[in-house]
Parts: sequence; C-alpha cells; structure tokens
Amino acid sequence: MSLLPFLIVSLISTGAALGLRGRPSLATLVGLAGLVVTLLAALAIRPGERLVIGGAAIATTEFMRLFLVLCSTCGIGLALLGAAAGTRRDAPAVMLGTLATAGLALSLPDARIAVPAVTAGGLIGVLVTLTPGAARVGATVGIREVRAVIISGSLALAAAAWIQRPLDDLVVQPQVFGLAYLAFALAIAVRFGVIPFHFWAARLADAAPEVTIPVLTAWGPAALAVVGLAWIDQLVAPILPEVGPERAVLIGVGITTIVLATFAAWIQDDLEHVLGYSIMGDAGVIVLGLAALGTEAWTPVRVWILAFVVARSAFAAWCAAMRATFWTGRLDDLLGWARHSPPLVVALVLVIIASIGLPGFAAWDARVSIVNQLFGGPLTVLMLVALLGPIAYYARLLMIGVRRPLGGTAAEDWRPRWPAVDLTRARISAATVVRVNRGASTALLALLLAALAVGTSAGLFGVPEAAAGVAPALEGESQIEPPSP
Amino acid sequence: MNPAIGAVAVGVLVGAVIAVSVRDGRIAVVGLLTMLVFSPIVTDPIGTPLALAARLAGGVLAAYLLWIAVRGGGMTSGSRIGWPAEALLALGAFVVGLGTHGLGATALGPVEAQAAGFALAALCVVPVATGRDVLRIGIGLFVLLQAALLVRVGLDGNPSELEQLVTAGLIAALGGSVAALAYAARSDGPGGFDLATEPRLRLRRPQDARRDAPRPPEAAPIPDR
Repeated sequence: MSLLPFLIVSLISTGAALGLRGRPSLATLVGLAGLVVTLLAALAIRPGERLVIGGAAIATTEFMRLFLVLCSTCGIGLALLGAAAGTRRDAPAVMLGTLATAGLALSLPDARIAVPAVTAGGLIGVLVTLTPGAARVGATVGIREVRAVIISGSLALAAAAWIQRPLDDLVVQPQVFGLAYLAFALAIAVRFGVIPFHFWAARLADAAPEVTIPVLTAWGPAALAVVGLAWIDQLVAPILPEVGPERAVLIGVGITTIVLATFAAWIQDDLEHVLGYSIMGDAGVIVLGLAALGTEAWTPVRVWILAFVVARSAFAAWCAAMRATFWTGRLDDLLGWARHSPPLVVALVLVIIASIGLPGFAAWDARVSIVNQLFGGPLTVLMLVALLGPIAYYARLLMIGVRRPLGGTAAEDWRPRWPAVDLTRARISAATVVRVNRGASTALLALLLAALAVGTSAGLFGVPEAAAGVAPALEGESQIEPPSP
Repeated sequence: MNPAIGAVAVGVLVGAVIAVSVRDGRIAVVGLLTMLVFSPIVTDPIGTPLALAARLAGGVLAAYLLWIAVRGGGMTSGSRIGWPAEALLALGAFVVGLGTHGLGATALGPVEAQAAGFALAALCVVPVATGRDVLRIGIGLFVLLQAALLVRVGLDGNPSELEQLVTAGLIAALGGSVAALAYAARSDGPGGFDLATEPRLRLRRPQDARRDAPRPPEAAPIPDR
C-alpha cells in the first residue's frame, strides 16, 4: 500500500531528528531531508487503496494525498525559513511527527482510532515551546497546550464512541446524537483554540517561533476537523436530528471567533501574535462549517481547510522572512519595511489574496457557500463583511511598511549578492554566501509559499475535486459517498 | 458484573486516587503506573496478547519517562481535600457509571469499564482545571485520557489491535510530553514543577532568535533616508 512508505519515512525521520537533538545542526539536516523524502512519499500515494491492519482498515483518498503534499511542501519551506529566522531544534521533527499522525488519521475510517492518532501528533508539538533560557515559561505554555490537546482528544473520543455502535434500541436518539455532535465539534474548537477556548493558543505565540505556530494550531487541528467532518457526515447528518441549540452554540462560537480574533490580530504589537490570532480567526470559519451540518457543507469546508492550512503557513513564512530580514518581529521596529524589501510586499499581497480570496476562487466560494447555508437575508451580508475583516490587520501591516522609518535600519538586503568565493576555503565561503543572502533567500521562500497559497485558494492542484471526494471507507464497506443533497 | 473485572477496575481507581492525592512526585508516578497497567485489562473478553502488550508497553514507557523527570525529587501540590475525599468522589462517580451503562442504548463492553471511566473523569477535574504545577496538571491529563478510553471500552467493547497500538503511542507521547515539560520546569531554578507566574510569561522575542548567528559585516546599518 502506497501510504505505508509515507508513514514509515515520516515516523523514522521524526525519531531520528529527535534522537539527534543533542546535535542541532545534524538534527536540522536530518529533519529537512526527512521532510523532502516525506514529500516524495506523499506524492507517491495512490488514492483508493485499502488495507486491513490489526483488525482495522486504512484507506487512501485524494484529499488525504493533497493535504499531505501541501503540508509537506509548506513544512520544507517553514523549516528552511526557521533555520534563517530562528527556531527550535525540534521544529522539523515536530513537523514530521504532525504529518505522520495526520496521514494516519486521515486514512482511518474509524474516528475512534483516528482521534488518538491526531491527538498524539498534537502532543509532539509541545517540544517547540521549550524555550532556551526560559524553561519554566516554556513549560507553562507547553502544559497548557497539552491540556487543550488532551481535553479535545478525550472529548472527541468519548463522542465518537457514544454513537459509533449499533443504536437501534436507543431511547433518546435526538438528544444523544445532538450531544455527541456538539461534543465532537467543541473538541475541534478547543483544538483550534478558537474563542472562548483561546487562552492557550494566544500564549503559544509567546514561546513558539512563528514557523511552528501553524503546525501546532492549524495542521494538526485541521486533520482533526477533517476526521470530525467525516464522522458527522457518516453518523449524524444522515439522521439529521433536531440539533437547533447545538448548532446555535457552534454558530455563536464561530461568529465570536471570527470577529474578536480579527480585532485581536489588528491590535497586536508583534508579528507572532498577529499570526496566532489570524489562524484563530480563520479557524472560526471551520467551526461555522461544522455547524452547517448539511450535505452541502462537505465540499466547501474541506476546500476551506486546505486553503486555510496553506495560507496560514504562507503567512507564517512571511512573518519568518520579516524576522530574518529585519531582525525583529515588533511592529514598532518595522516602520518602513515595505520601502526596504519589495519582494516581501509582493509576498504579503499574495498572502492577502490567498487568505481573503477573490470572487471565483475556490476558497472564496467555499466561505460564501458555508455562510449561505447558515444564514439568510441581511445576516448573510453581515457575515460576509465580517469575513473581510482580516483586511484590517493586513492593511495595518502594509501601512506600517510604507511609513517613514524612525531611524537607521540594520535590515538585510533583499537583493541577492555573490561575494568573492575562495575555493581553498569553500566551507567559509559557502557560509558567507548564505549569510549575506539571508534577506533574499527568505523573501524568495516566502514568495514561493505565498504563490502556493494563492494557487490552493484559487482551486488549483485539484483542490475542489479532492475536497468533493469520498471519505475513507469503514471495514467491509465500499467507499462512503458524501450524502446526496 | 464480573468480580474479576471489578477487582481490576478497583485497582485502576486505587492507582488514580494515589496519583491525584499525594504530594511526592515519585509516589504519584507509581500510582499513575498502577492505573496505566490495570486499565487495559478492564475488558471482556481480555484483549489479544499483541494489543495488551502494546498498551502495557505504552503505559510503562510513559511512567518511566515521568520517573526520569521526578526521580531527583520534587513535590506536586497534591489534593487539598485528602485521599479519603478523593476516593469517595471516585466511588460516587463509579456508582453513577454502573447505573448508566450504555448511556441510552445497549452497551457492547463491560459495565466496570464505564464505571471506572466515570470515576476517573470525576477525579481528574480538579487537577486539570486548577493545577498550579506541571506535574499535577500532567497527572490529571493522564487520568482524563484513561477515563475517555475506559468509557469507550465500556460503550463499544474491545478495541482493535490497531486502535490499541495507536492508543499506546498516544499514552507514550503524553508521558514524553509531560516529562519533558516537568523536567524543563524543575531545571529552571527553585520552584520545582510550578508554573511560571503571569507577569513573566510574555517573552521578548528577539532574545531567542538567532542567538548564535553573527551578523554579516556586509549588513551595515543603512543611512537614514
């Protein structure tokens, strides 16, 4: 089965990178090599295969393949940017571990197995919160993340177990299905750290480097959201119980998150927190998608999940490139950044296009579709306006960039440079080339990821087709079609 | 109710009560190990050797990793109401679990599993919600996870081997994460496993970025424009 090489490579690479953490340079190299091999293994996955292991089935889908390919690509870019902008030695290992567990979870039709898998991936992420020189602060941030991950996993596991057995003689079906549905959806909300479950996610930006923030708060939670969406579509949506109050709760959480997280991102004074709250705000759309609970929500939510993961990774890449170029992430110190580095302006504009979308883009249509399914009349317009809210903090970043700098700057040049190379001292010369091109190389990487995000948001790479595809099938069943409208 | 499974479930509860009640970190880890070792046996019929071995290995590995973090000593805040009150709380929840087996439908697993799961869920609330040190919160999370796993067994019956394998990985990962965080907290000056106080929480980002990367001589400051 073509998924097995992916799982084996990613798990072995994770272990190797963690095992070598005493030698950071080697661990980073192994991690980067592992990410490249993982990308190749993800590209080699063939959809439609099934295998029974240990009494449970695993199956490959086109959506899973695309998710893993996109995340692996982003992982390579983020790991490289981390090497330039400052990161933790465990960052590549955390990316690999998250990819491995996400790949396993997305291939499992049984949510009772998929949830522990994706929860384990979230736990690996705490390694990047361990801050050199401030271990107690890092541990405090980390244990709060572990708490959110375990609460989320336990809630989702209990919900999945509750209604996954034969329920022919269940006395109080509507209430049971409603509560289980609400529990699973809230588990996803907790894992994303959306408001009001955001305390741990907001603090994460204090300790984790920007390149790891989307891995912790977007990749893993997105995999859980895909598992949850399939579970809802298979077990809850066909019965379509009366779940008005449950949906109201989710809609409330989604709207609150979209509005307040956007506002919070707008008032932050450093890039990491802007990034953290922007992820939170976009995750609110996924919570709204879970509230839609209809057959029409299947494709739009999965399209948005793909666009969300790549766009947030691209924004993180831009933040890392800014730090690598200007040696700071504080907005007060970044006055005039746009005058200094045109490629980063282009990258940010591309990130904005990918995040907000343009009419006709798959991501734009997905968000409009989700809103249309939940609201009617003026509320639809209001929600669509709220979804344009991120323009405010992006515009603020651009405005800061065009303002006149207060004083001198020690920023790296964005133009590539080629200092004289001494072949008798090749290693030193190579290191010099890398150092003097820090600004240029990081800006280029941010541009590439931003372009990838625009392509994903626009629906390239087969995003709509993959999102509309079937979920992995349960053992002994054929592939499960999304319920017809 | 099967007396043998009931006895094992009581063993799970005893381990959990010890883990959340005591103040000595090492004894808490021993209690946790007891809970992790007995939990996979609360099934009917008992799991396959492979599944059981995986769960036991995961539990022992998690406890060993925690042991590394606490073996040099270190106190956790423990229970403020004492172990008898914790045990009574667990007993009450155990009875609730017995009386609600299946949660509205015919269950496929043993009633003892659901009852033990309810008891663990009641025990974990205080450490998870109000814990002020890394070890206590971590222990509470272990108990919470076991609660969910036991309720799952009580409702749906025996997990498959793959599920047990994945669950073992999850338990080991939790052990590794909590151990790494506990070790980090303990190694950061006096204070043991305590959480950082809020005013110190916010880090200044530039200090941890590229600490070892010297600036290239070519990156001289650009004159004012």
